[in-house]
Amino acid sequence: MASTNGFPRAIHDLEEEFAGLANEIPESPEKRAISLLHGIVMEMWKELRSDGLGDVGALAWPDVGELYRTAPPMEGAAVNEPLPPGTEAPDFALPDPSGETVRLRDLRGRPVVIVFYPLDWSPGCSQQLDLYQQEIDEFRHRDAELLAISVDSLYSHGAWAAVRGLTFPLLADFHPKGEVARDYSVWREDDGFSERALYVLDADGVIQYSHVTPYLHHVPDIYELLEAVDAAAGARV
Amino acid sequence: MAGPGLSRQPRRGNPPRTTTIPLTVYGRPWCGISQMIRRYLDRMGIPYDYVDLDRDPAAEARLQWLNGGRLRTPMVQVGDQMLVQPTVRDVARALQRRGVTAAR
Repeated sequence: MASTNGFPRAIHDLEEEFAGLANEIPESPEKRAISLLHGIVMEMWKELRSDGLGDVGALAWPDVGELYRTAPPMEGAAVNEPLPPGTEAPDFALPDPSGETVRLRDLRGRPVVIVFYPLDWSPGCSQQLDLYQQEIDEFRHRDAELLAISVDSLYSHGAWAAVRGLTFPLLADFHPKGEVARDYSVWREDDGFSERALYVLDADGVIQYSHVTPYLHHVPDIYELLEAVDAAAGARV
Repeated sequence: MAGPGLSRQPRRGNPPRTTTIPLTVYGRPWCGISQMIRRYLDRMGIPYDYVDLDRDPAAEARLQWLNGGRLRTPMVQVGDQMLVQPTVRDVARALQRRGVTAAR
């Protein structure tokens, strides 16, 4: 079978023809069934790649770091409005995974990004904090301190950070549960965890940017966040 | 589906040559993996097309059809291969297989 870049040409041609047929088949249970069958094929391709066939390395299973991919989704609309820009950020002192207390006011003199997220190990939170770890140099280049806060215990934070390779502090808003989230107007009383929310503080500890995602499974736009950090870095007079 | 031109490394012993492959990220602005892949490509200086599925219902419908109605984002077309919700590493390897190198 001829191939292109290791991907079988025949399959590529069939894919093209299949895609082109979509508009020619009237909506019906049969069309739905055909689409489902193709979805199965797509899933099998993905599984073949992740099983280490070809030149892709095999993952150990179970890989704890990947469990979020099959975990129950976390969804729901936001129920809070964040504190507005111009507000002095409420101070807090929370433990990091090593048990050291991180006090917000000790970080004056540089921008601070506070990330409220619902729960360790969950799908959206894993993706969101992976993104920030990938972009950690962008925060460093801006001399910004990045703090992430959830209601999980410092022990959960420690394990989760180790599994994901997270190097920025995860702070435990554990007891009294959610007290800091309440101070920042992002507490979801019915759920027992916080909104997914961002605050960017300037070097004087004043909120310059605040954002609560409209839905829990939405990860805030990283481009917008980095622009907010740039703005906060230049906000000090 | 037209894609941007990408530089490829010449094969050893052959004269230098340039060819193109399409590279398109079909994602959503609030999808964490979409953002990771876009940022990776930005940093590597690899040009790509980005289709925001929240703003392109026709593209969304086409991908829904291909996925049996269970569209997960992002989908990334690298050359003639469509990757379903790949990791950054998956994309990097797919590009590497095609000899695509960073522009910076």
